[in-house]
Amino acid sequence: MRVDVRALGACNRLAEQGAKQAAGALSDLTGTDLAVEVTGASVASGEDLAESFAGRESIGVSVGLRGGLDGEAVLAFDAVNADALLSLLPGGGSMERSAVTEVGNIALGGFLDGWANYLGKAIDMTPPRYFEADGAAVLPDGALAGDGVFLFESRLDATTTDLDFSIYMLPDSGPFRDLIVGKTAPAATAGGEANGGTTSTAVPYESLSTFSSLAKEGSANAADNIAMMTGLETSVDVSRLRFVPLADVPAEVGTEPHAGTVFELQGEPSGYLAILFEESSAAAVADAMLPMDPNEPLGDMAENALCELGNVMTSGFIDGWANVLGTTITHSPPEFVHDIGASTISPLVAKLSERQDYGFVIDTAIRTEGIQARCDVYALPDERELARALDRLSES
Amino acid sequence: MTRSLSDDRPDDPAGNTGSDGDAVADAEPAAVTGGAAADDPGRIKVGVGELAVTSDDAILTTSGLGSCVAVALADERAGVRGLLHAMLPAGDGRTTAVSRPAKYVDTGIDSLIAALDDAGADPRRLEARVAGGAEMLDLTDAVGPRNVERVGEVLDAAGVPIVASDVGDAVGRTVRFGPNGRLVIRAADGFERAI
Repeated sequence: MRVDVRALGACNRLAEQGAKQAAGALSDLTGTDLAVEVTGASVASGEDLAESFAGRESIGVSVGLRGGLDGEAVLAFDAVNADALLSLLPGGGSMERSAVTEVGNIALGGFLDGWANYLGKAIDMTPPRYFEADGAAVLPDGALAGDGVFLFESRLDATTTDLDFSIYMLPDSGPFRDLIVGKTAPAATAGGEANGGTTSTAVPYESLSTFSSLAKEGSANAADNIAMMTGLETSVDVSRLRFVPLADVPAEVGTEPHAGTVFELQGEPSGYLAILFEESSAAAVADAMLPMDPNEPLGDMAENALCELGNVMTSGFIDGWANVLGTTITHSPPEFVHDIGASTISPLVAKLSERQDYGFVIDTAIRTEGIQARCDVYALPDERELARALDRLSES
Repeated sequence: MTRSLSDDRPDDPAGNTGSDGDAVADAEPAAVTGGAAADDPGRIKVGVGELAVTSDDAILTTSGLGSCVAVALADERAGVRGLLHAMLPAGDGRTTAVSRPAKYVDTGIDSLIAALDDAGADPRRLEARVAGGAEMLDLTDAVGPRNVERVGEVLDAAGVPIVASDVGDAVGRTVRFGPNGRLVIRAADGFERAI
């Protein structure tokens, strides 16, 4: 059985449209403008998910789904944002539970309308259940059990108020698998036409879980290399591979100034890799690496240090990929960037957009003991070449 | 509860379900605001590969321009403005140029002019302000300058004069386009200038 990554893309767009509906419903209810910032589909193992949700407290509602789609959908707010949400609602904070339940119900209803339309089948929602949850308990039942579950995640952002929340939908893997496989043929044909070629982006279903290994292996290697180079104890915080519209990537990086390095990858797959630190983190890391205090926080000396660090991290990353995929990948020399985060990544996204609309983004936060620093790694491989490598892997 | 079907189920999974009064991508040509509360002119965020049009006092913003280019068009007499955030120079007949015209400079400017026309602007009175198109990286063969060049060609062909621009170099930019018709550009260090 084969799954086309473009079919995943279609589902992702559906999730995005659903999230827009949810945002619209909530905007009407609260009188506050809400915008969908990012929608991503991830294929992750239960273990990865548990890790990435550790330490978060959430409130929200969940509903069970039957009919056109089986599974569960959850709308969750970070508990720290709950007050901001409640202050927006008619009746204020006096009716916390019922207000959150009502909001969740309306938003999830909006979210599922889009899917019902696409599937041509009604989706039945069970009555909403209010919950307060620690860590990964927020995720739909069953998310932690599987080894390769689909999770759709949208982040909504209030344009005038500090409030964001997520919608997670976890379709039952079996039926959902049938669904995306069912859509594979037309999606693949459309993709072929668009690019005037017959290059396939279909990969065996089983290979989808290999995506997670890519993220993990690469990040762990990068962290090891930092530790070797700096002597600092280094750990990987979060490592997840998501499938997102490329146009959303700059918004995800955000408008805060960032510094870091960018690389072009050659081989199977080719693509780009960007390692971005917020300014304070960049300065702290460079400071820790330099034998003496730099003259200026992010001047030439710091630039050299960050390039060197970027080099070893990138080597670690692509070695990890090459191991998993059994291919050879090389990288260009580092190019230093220091500007608005979204601006630094926009040319990479533009270049890749000439060939594809979606990208695999690897979220990795690498934490170094003793200094307050974290960075995000954006790995943007060519989807056809990645699909081809995964396909070959499953045949061998 | 049952989520019911609408009669016009789209074949395209993207559907056509963008929320009202917001920046939109995909097949919808543009959003026109007008529903915002009277005392709050509102902000409309225009994402990458999106465009938006307003005929009220809303501030159109787009952030994190690197090699991407922002094209701000206004018909001051009609009080109609629009902002495009395009990523690549030319659609070249790609299918995404139809489904998401604002991704490309050429199809994006055409869509923006059409949307302004629909909102009551006279295309012959439009004036353009352009920002972005930076050369952020050596790795990505001058996509920024190519975007800027294409903007000049397409606006010229449409007969729309460029009255001001802040393009090129290796700097990121965030812009906002308010009712006074000036484009305010902010760099990473917080420095602002209006053109």
